[in-house]
Amino acid sequence: MAREYDHLFKLLIIGDSGVGKSSLLLRFSDNTFTGNYITTIGVDFKIRTVDIDGERVKLQIWDTAGQERFRTITSTYYRGTHGVIVVYDVSSGDTFANVKRWLHEIDQNCEVVNRILVGNKNDSLDRKVVLTEDAQRFADQMAIQLFETSAKENINVEEMFMAITRQVLRTKKERRERQAIQNSETVNLRKPNKSKKRFC
Amino acid sequence: MGSRIREDVSHVFECFCEVVKPQGDIQEAWVIQKFPDSFKEDEKIKSVPKFAYPCEFDNTVIQHYSFVLTSGDSKWTFGFCRHDPKSSTALVILSYLPWHETFYRLLNTISELIHNNAQADMLSPFLANLYTSKVPDPGTELSVPTIPSADKKFTFSAPKRFELPSIPNNRNLSEYYNAVNCDNMIRVFASMLYERRIVFTSRKLNRLSACVQAANAIIYPMNWQHIFIPVLPIHLVDYLFAPMPYLIGVPHALVDRVKKADVGDVVILDADNNTIESPFDDLASLPQEVVKQLKSQLKTQVMGDGVSRAFLRALVSLIGGYRDALIVNQGEKITFDDEAFVETRPTTMQPFLRKMLELQIFQQFIDERLTMLNAGLGFSDEFEHEAWNYCDKNSSKIKGQYKEWTSAMKKEGSAILKSMKTRANPAVKNAVNTVKERGKDVGKAYKGIRSKLKDFSDVKGRPRSQLSQPASTSYRGKEARRSVTSDTGCSQAPYSALTPTSPDHGEGSALSFAPLDMDLMGDMQDVFNKCSLLDTPAQTPNKMMKPVRSFDNFTATNGSLLGSNLFSGDRAAGGSDDSVFLLESQSEPHARPAPMSSHKVQVKSSSSETDLIRLDSTPSDEFDPLENGHSLTNPLYPYYNNDEPSDIHRDLDLLREYGLDFPHSNTITQSPQNNWTKFD
Repeated sequence: MAREYDHLFKLLIIGDSGVGKSSLLLRFSDNTFTGNYITTIGVDFKIRTVDIDGERVKLQIWDTAGQERFRTITSTYYRGTHGVIVVYDVSSGDTFANVKRWLHEIDQNCEVVNRILVGNKNDSLDRKVVLTEDAQRFADQMAIQLFETSAKENINVEEMFMAITRQVLRTKKERRERQAIQNSETVNLRKPNKSKKRFC
Repeated sequence: MGSRIREDVSHVFECFCEVVKPQGDIQEAWVIQKFPDSFKEDEKIKSVPKFAYPCEFDNTVIQHYSFVLTSGDSKWTFGFCRHDPKSSTALVILSYLPWHETFYRLLNTISELIHNNAQADMLSPFLANLYTSKVPDPGTELSVPTIPSADKKFTFSAPKRFELPSIPNNRNLSEYYNAVNCDNMIRVFASMLYERRIVFTSRKLNRLSACVQAANAIIYPMNWQHIFIPVLPIHLVDYLFAPMPYLIGVPHALVDRVKKADVGDVVILDADNNTIESPFDDLASLPQEVVKQLKSQLKTQVMGDGVSRAFLRALVSLIGGYRDALIVNQGEKITFDDEAFVETRPTTMQPFLRKMLELQIFQQFIDERLTMLNAGLGFSDEFEHEAWNYCDKNSSKIKGQYKEWTSAMKKEGSAILKSMKTRANPAVKNAVNTVKERGKDVGKAYKGIRSKLKDFSDVKGRPRSQLSQPASTSYRGKEARRSVTSDTGCSQAPYSALTPTSPDHGEGSALSFAPLDMDLMGDMQDVFNKCSLLDTPAQTPNKMMKPVRSFDNFTATNGSLLGSNLFSGDRAAGGSDDSVFLLESQSEPHARPAPMSSHKVQVKSSSSETDLIRLDSTPSDEFDPLENGHSLTNPLYPYYNNDEPSDIHRDLDLLREYGLDFPHSNTITQSPQNNWTKFD
């Protein structure tokens, strides 16, 4: 029997409360009803299966409550995840500042290779305070992709999620290839491909 | 901040619900009544039936358990449940206060009212009364009539500050200790210190929730920062797939609902069978000396707060050194230096401590302490107390830093009196808040702070003499007072600040002493500097080997000393009280000793140091002044033996006993009163 999916990826979405993480997830997730538990148990996740170049990729995207209380989000939080979606609100400089700090932290302490920077609420030029150029400069500096989205207007949301998914998939394949090369070079040293989830 | 307990709590409870169990055609539990009706948090009300009946479970005896809801700001709401096999409903109290014992009793009271028809209409007024009552301050009692006609009351006390969970009073810890042996408690503790994904399972909901709650309490002064679900209801089993760290209690009935392979690497404690399954060997990577000490303490001290304290001491030996990594620069915020935190500790610990820096629970702990320090809040708690006891007195950098810091804080001391509410979390760390119940809690380390604060706030800038006013704030022993009054000519104000631990004598008096006006820690630093110059190190025992002191032990010993009236144990205790971060007052023109008499200060403070050592009542090889002839006369307090003018030489004798060979004895003999405040 064919499996429901070829790959299962667990992603995290981080950012201050109010930047629109839940809205982004709602936009993205398929319509299967999973409820919203962020205000009852402080954690929530959404699922969607997408097709990337003929491969079925199941995504779980996880969100936790009250992240803004962390000056730094430590590496244990990212352990076991495949990628991180880092969201700020383009109309709030503070949320961008937090995100910068967290990304620096990830850079220093984790090996989470798959990250994407998202400026949400990009639907009102009047209120925009985090300029695209500034965000882009920062993204370039961190060598990550930047997407400016609007969950409200459904702008760029799909593109953003697809981008991170492709990235995660590419990383997985690269790792596999590297491993295959290693395995062919060393005789019978194959171990279960356990390291694939180990980013931290 | 680290705590996930709300501090701005205005009601003892938020809501009471009666929940009907799923039966027959109705598959889901539902709320049949709630109080107050005005409670409108729909998300919570919707959750209550699901958490009250999380799955099919064995309901043959009355059981109490608690669940936890987490709000968007990550703060916890506790749901206390009572299931009675004779009833088709469950009773639930939602509260921000983690007072398990109180709410379980409250639920029993409510149950009596509900199930006794004659009293059924008493429920509403009783709940209304309780709801509108002010949340009692720590350590104080609240009494609310249940059946006014029969003069029946529901009475409870808010937990005291700084109280560690004890066996058997704390139900959660008692249950945990009962279900899980010490080795497994330590293994769970170790895995929590790695922020693993951790699952507890049990067939009994009460055991499940108690164990999860107790496991969190045991990592005090840290708090679990991740997903925390003491009882997971069936509709949320998918949350076991979360990739982030969690601590989740899974009713046994749900265990088979999830494929373990899908869950991934989790640590599983089966609380019914006292077994652990783990893909990690976290215990092996803890510093083994800490594990060894923890194990041996858990073997010997169980009842009371023995278990809590054993784990607290383990944490003290792991992270108590954070004090040495605080960076204090004049005019700047205090910061924490990761490298210093690791490198100031023994090499055997360093690999683990480096790991520790990556923990959210540790980062939040540090953030919290920094926030308090930078707000000018002094603080103390059982952790700081134990940390001070543990602290290597010879090398601790904090003393010097403390000195700089206090002088910095003096300049920006405006925030000092910020009061912090503690009632929500009795174990919470902030000590500065209005300390009302002087009596009972004296002996805790915040005394020193209190007197400092008082000094700072009340008498700022006033001449010293005005400090000595008849006041109810005196918490000194009667005897002590008497002796000083009898000899005001050489009253040693600095010593009077070494607050006694004998609160029972602390009634008002015609004479109240000036609050502490010396910088004890700074002074100690002077002594140590001096000692190192002289190349005669103070006798500081190896901290790795030294049994950590217990304040409890101390008070017992102290009591007996008092009883035998041989020396003022009261004042001797003060040394330890000042171990906390004290805020030095601004208003002491004489606080800094004149250069000429500085040696005097050094002698005094080094003697204070001896007090710290004397606090130890645990058996050890350390020098104990009480065990030789010198002890009978307290060298610290010459005024105690006014008929003996040569006390000062005994000071020196004792110093020598400690290896403090003081060459400047001639300066010491200079009029000791010079710098000391006289009481008018």
